[in-house]
Amino acid sequence: MKMSNKTLNKISSFFVSLKSQPMTVVLFLCASFSIVILFLMLFFVAREGAYAFTKFGPDLLFGMQWDLESNVFGGFPLLFGSLLVTFGALVIAIPIGVSTAIFVSEVLPFHLRDPIKSIIELLASIPSVLYGFIGLLIVVPLMADIFGLPSGQTALTASLVLSLMTIPTIVSVSGEIISAVPKDYKEAALGLGATKWETIKSVVLPIAKSGILASIMLGFGRAIGETIAVSMISGNQAHVASSFLDAVYTIPAFIATHMGEAAVGSLEYSALFGLGLILLIITFIVNTLADVVVKRGVQR
Amino acid sequence: MSYEDKIDIRQLNIWFGEKHVIRGVDLKIKANAVTAIMGPSGCGKSTLLRAFNRMNDVIKTSKTTGDVFIGEKNVYENGTNVYDLRRQVGMVFQKPNPLPKSIYENVAFGPKIHKMAKGKALDKVVEKSLRSAALWDEVKDRLNDSAFDLSGGQQQRLCIARALAVDPEVILMDEPCSALDPAATAKIEQLIRILSSDYTVVIVTHNMQQASRVSDYTVFLYLGKIIEQGKTKGIFENPQHELTEQYITGEFG
Amino acid sequence: MVICLLAFFWIVATLFTGFGTLNVDLLTTSALKGGYFEMIVGTVYLFLGAAAIAGPIGVFAAIYLVEYAPGGKLTRIIDQAINNLAGVPSIIIGLFGYTLFSRQLGFGISLLSGWLTLALMILPIVIRGSEEAIRIVPTSFKQAALGLGATKWKAISLTTLIAAMPGIVTSVILGIARVAGETAAILFTSSVIITRGLPTSPFEPVMALSFNIYVKIVARGESPENVFGIALILFFIVVAFSLVAIILRIYYRRKQPWLS
Repeated sequence: MKMSNKTLNKISSFFVSLKSQPMTVVLFLCASFSIVILFLMLFFVAREGAYAFTKFGPDLLFGMQWDLESNVFGGFPLLFGSLLVTFGALVIAIPIGVSTAIFVSEVLPFHLRDPIKSIIELLASIPSVLYGFIGLLIVVPLMADIFGLPSGQTALTASLVLSLMTIPTIVSVSGEIISAVPKDYKEAALGLGATKWETIKSVVLPIAKSGILASIMLGFGRAIGETIAVSMISGNQAHVASSFLDAVYTIPAFIATHMGEAAVGSLEYSALFGLGLILLIITFIVNTLADVVVKRGVQR
Repeated sequence: MSYEDKIDIRQLNIWFGEKHVIRGVDLKIKANAVTAIMGPSGCGKSTLLRAFNRMNDVIKTSKTTGDVFIGEKNVYENGTNVYDLRRQVGMVFQKPNPLPKSIYENVAFGPKIHKMAKGKALDKVVEKSLRSAALWDEVKDRLNDSAFDLSGGQQQRLCIARALAVDPEVILMDEPCSALDPAATAKIEQLIRILSSDYTVVIVTHNMQQASRVSDYTVFLYLGKIIEQGKTKGIFENPQHELTEQYITGEFG
Repeated sequence: MVICLLAFFWIVATLFTGFGTLNVDLLTTSALKGGYFEMIVGTVYLFLGAAAIAGPIGVFAAIYLVEYAPGGKLTRIIDQAINNLAGVPSIIIGLFGYTLFSRQLGFGISLLSGWLTLALMILPIVIRGSEEAIRIVPTSFKQAALGLGATKWKAISLTTLIAAMPGIVTSVILGIARVAGETAAILFTSSVIITRGLPTSPFEPVMALSFNIYVKIVARGESPENVFGIALILFFIVVAFSLVAIILRIYYRRKQPWLS
């Protein structure tokens, strides 16, 4: 009898709290909104791309030709272009980004950190169309001059500008992890007579390793999806580039420039969505992995 | 001088997850008197206090069995409106916790959320509450200043005024002076004595001198159980239980 | 780091060489007569509407995650989804916005489609920023309100949320800075190269600074010097919002008495 009384109490207090419950439901719906959007995104992009996928299968990604007249759509040159440009960007951005992060969070005097971080943040907020614009204005002619090319719109140009856009991501994410390394460890090393650089190398970096890795993955995700700047400066040639000094086309740039002309519902239209789906899945995987890496790093 | 019972606690048990914090407490608290709950830290004093206005409900893992009657009403009964309960049973916290608003808005907060008064009537409530908390003369010319501009002791009296503004019957105080200096503490203690003529006051403290100075009745709690309770004078002059005596003489705590 | 600084100053220096092309009259001259008026106002329309949509949803989501979420598996999934949404390339957001808003829901190439699409890009920024802002508010405020008999929602909305407001506003401004120059997401959803005057309803297309730079250069092959003025205006708008957000954040971090 006493027990059932308590159960009743519980139920009744639940109903009393229902008074504030509608709000909880609203809040929950807002929080789950991101999940819903992601599912809708996958669904719609996949639905539009399904036609091309059933028609070409893996050739959509690995076929060598994108030809409107013969209605054959293979995206390999684009995939290659994307990977080439992204790889080049990361090769430049990783050393600069990581060393900047270390410098800002370990070496820089405290009162200078905020201003420097702010400038890096500003760099991150400059829209990609302006990066493209500046690349076109400065980097493109510079490339043509240095390498004696007829056009400075090359994979290397895109990589250079893209690295500038990726550095802030790497700096802010890995900087956060590096400054989270417990002071005790650093002091222990310093107390043993290690120099500042030895401490960073032997204590800070091993602990922050996973965070740095995650920041690189996020940087990769950002670089491979970058559209506007790349399409303005990479020359937009749908062929497999022979070198970094060749013009290239990337998947997002190709989608941006071809969507307007593709007839809605046509095979080309569907193929563009197919490429989009592949890009979406790549970034999904990379971002999820980055999260997992960070969380595992934090647990250890 | 005899008092009526205001709060009647029967077989109260409280768990936080697996931890059994309050173990079968029976306790009667007299109306219009000050009752001090004292005991070493971690003995469950604050948890016991928070059972009176069901503030333990806020902690998701908490589980409560037993009854707490305030006046005629069992607060753990079906369909109790906890929000109304918390209006009737005001609470003052360990650290002064003014809201990031003006002095006036802090006191007016309770009446506003319960739609008890507005306009001129609200001004009156604010003034009356601040007077009752012995703060009016110090703040009447700067009611629109931020509450954070007040000193710690003033902030705590502001919190008391805020609790009084919703017209409570019982006031719970959870170590209200632990963050204050001796001068501010003396003022609050004096205030507690005055408040007891209109309200039932329950104060948690680990400071024995404070318990002996402000309270009419004292409850000694140890490991979630009541070891001893009675008139403050009696407990301090002639403790019945060995543990109480050890605690009062400072052998542990 | 030096490279970052150099890059930044280099960008600023280069942009300033284009100052000569900027003429105050052009700011208020209609695009039909070669001015920038509709592009500037169109850009403002776009980010304001997107912020108005993403702001409330983001703040509510943040409140849920900090104050209500039970912390189980579902919460982790929500958290992950927000990170993933933040990482979706803008061109895909654009494809999605075009398919769902412009076509499926029939909003067409319009301001409304642009708002909804850009809101998806602001949302993760607002959620993360607001979470942070709510988390640093001491729980004692909420406790005080609960102790007075406020419901949980009232306690949070009347105390915690108000104390967190500067941080929340900062996150919205940061979100605006992020989308004010967005191009890929509005490419297929809301913008056109020229309109007759400003849109009179949300169902009409709108001009935007970023869109104009991109299309003039890539589709029309114009030389970058021709769009220097537009680029400069866009740069000022974006940097202004970023700077305001950064300064607000530093200012309030110092000012909030309960943080000391």
